Amino acid sequence: MEVHLTAEQILLRDSAAKFIAAAMSTVTRARGGIRSSAPGRLLQIGELGWFGMLVPSSADGPGLGLTEMALVLEQAGRGLVREPIGQAIIAVAALAQGYAPHPILRRAMLGDALVVPALQESAHDPLALRTEATGQRVPRLTGTKMAVCADDADGFLVSARGSDGPALYYVARDSAGVSVATAPTVDGRRLATLELQGAAADLVPARQSSRGAVEALTDLALIALSAELLGVMEGAQELTFEYLRVRKQFGKPIGSFQALQHKAVDIYIKTETVRSLLYQVAAANDTYCIDPALAVALKAKASEDALAVTQTCIQLHGAIGFTDEHDIGLYLKRALLLSSLLGNAAAQRRRYSELMELTV
Amino acid sequence: MFRRDSPDEASFRTEVRVWLEANLPVALRGRTNRPPPAQLMPWYRALSRKGWIAPHWPKQYGGMGATLNQQVIMTEELARLGAPQLPAQGLNHIGPILIEFGTEAQKATHLPPIIAGTLIWAQGYSEPGAGSDLASLATRASRESDHFVVQGQKIWTTWAHYSDWMFALVRTDPLAQPRHAGISFLLIDLHSPGITIRPIRTIAGDDEFSEIFLDNVVVPAENLVGKLNDGWRIANALLGHERLGTSNPQFALIALDRIKTMARASGVITDPAFRDRLAAASINVTALSALFSHAVELTNLQRSLGPEASLIKIFGTELLQSLNDLLIEAAGSEASLEDPIATRFGTVDVSTPFLQVRRATIYGGSSEIQRNIIARRVLNLPQ
Repeated sequence: MEVHLTAEQILLRDSAAKFIAAAMSTVTRARGGIRSSAPGRLLQIGELGWFGMLVPSSADGPGLGLTEMALVLEQAGRGLVREPIGQAIIAVAALAQGYAPHPILRRAMLGDALVVPALQESAHDPLALRTEATGQRVPRLTGTKMAVCADDADGFLVSARGSDGPALYYVARDSAGVSVATAPTVDGRRLATLELQGAAADLVPARQSSRGAVEALTDLALIALSAELLGVMEGAQELTFEYLRVRKQFGKPIGSFQALQHKAVDIYIKTETVRSLLYQVAAANDTYCIDPALAVALKAKASEDALAVTQTCIQLHGAIGFTDEHDIGLYLKRALLLSSLLGNAAAQRRRYSELMELTV
Repeated sequence: MFRRDSPDEASFRTEVRVWLEANLPVALRGRTNRPPPAQLMPWYRALSRKGWIAPHWPKQYGGMGATLNQQVIMTEELARLGAPQLPAQGLNHIGPILIEFGTEAQKATHLPPIIAGTLIWAQGYSEPGAGSDLASLATRASRESDHFVVQGQKIWTTWAHYSDWMFALVRTDPLAQPRHAGISFLLIDLHSPGITIRPIRTIAGDDEFSEIFLDNVVVPAENLVGKLNDGWRIANALLGHERLGTSNPQFALIALDRIKTMARASGVITDPAFRDRLAAASINVTALSALFSHAVELTNLQRSLGPEASLIKIFGTELLQSLNDLLIEAAGSEASLEDPIATRFGTVDVSTPFLQVRRATIYGGSSEIQRNIIARRVLNLPQ
């Protein structure tokens, strides 16, 4: 179902789609482990203003909302964009939240520096937090972070336990005491493990009105990942429905067979459900104040449905869908990455159960 | 969950809630089956006297002329108290159809008794040989001077044995191609000579529907709605709105509450495997709320939902079924008991809603037919 948008939002969505379509030619060729992003791409994106889109006007940003972020990231997912745009947008938003924004903020808004969150420590419990911050004037972090989208990152927003409880810290990649070990993912990106051994860090002050900065950023990340997952589902279903219309067997387009039609409709239902959920959640929440149950529900649904949809899309393509020569497999691989970050569907459901404890 | 009441809507909600709390008989609350007319119709007429029986009808016909949001609020508040489903064929089907397509005489004759709750309507669409393939219906209406003579059989007709009138699709041109071009929309007095009605008991143990035999039934020509052979279009015109009304997530929320009560009582609430499924189900209820809220927004903007309403019907009804699967799981070895189960957290009806909900994916166009509609009209897949 069509999402009702303002004229400005439509403009943003369309310009994102256009920019990404132009960049797509390099995206589709970038399989088989080629991992570097196109040079200058981050600066181009910075020029479009995407990285700083959520930055409030109090910090000289446009103060756009979750709907605008979702519109851009949906297109990024649809175009299988390699740069971690979503990670960068939410990190910039977190950097901008306090009374005195961190000096890296301006460069990160322009795409001159890439900052990504490093929140996760456990494969199954995205909120587990053992990294510690010690020292008052210059905090020092010690701990291990996993599943960090560290490609080309210049710095990280790291969650750690300080004297006042969990807080966010900025850590430059080249600081002493930071080591980054990366491993390739199936979709040609790299995920990093971050070892922090007394690494120098700057406290990122929380917004006064919001809940803890760590949980707020986690929930924002869940929405960003879900928006990209929606785009992945969309891109995969577009390719698949077109294939059903043109591929002929038994003298007919295979899309005329009811068994395949019903599978196609199930894909459509899942995609539309995630779309409604994403945009209703985006409209009902603010960047710095998100209902955790809604963010968790959204990520659970988007993770589960994106994997189901992209798997069915391969099945509907038949043998060609299993080859690396066809693009459809790229969507499954991207869905596999995004669905697993910050907790897969099962991990989200566990957290959802805990959040619902009072009503159960 | 997603929709927010405006201040006016919030005070309307309060007014409705307070009045319903004071006026809905306790015996009618939280029932999983529909009470017979002797119990149900006094409640219908109480709503009618209050002026709330037809929120979606224009004021000139005795409705409230309510906005879509007010209609949704009314549905939610009724569901919240577990109010029984009212006979809907008059209020939701023939009423709006006559308002849109009826003659002034038809409106004057038929609308006031629907509002007052003095006459009950039934819908005569399905036939033994025409279910999913409704356009193949064979009940024949032959024009003879100033009347039609109707010969045939209708089936799965909800509440026909309690009803006074039936709006029916009948074949007026047996040679028409495509077949739906030979179908007309006729109002039939069920007290006419030649009509036999036999109630049919459902697997849920009630006699919600019936079959109707029409043997040379005389129907005055003025009971034709719209033009001859234009019945298919008339019957289909208002379906989107109807599918939206029945997919209100409040019904799913009530089902969820029932599961939680049963699971607490049986102790399975602490089982991690069960909790995972319960979380998945609640997340899907949240998703249905989002779909519903999205659809209400679009309808408020005067955009027709069209075939996309099928998506909500499929998702909503299949979700209700999966919720009832979870309910019987929560009940464990008590699942097959016919009567409601008394627990220390309250009485929970398990087997009845589980059996009742089978119908949800069948009536109003089965889930498979809805999928065909989407494949063709939304996804443009080839024939």
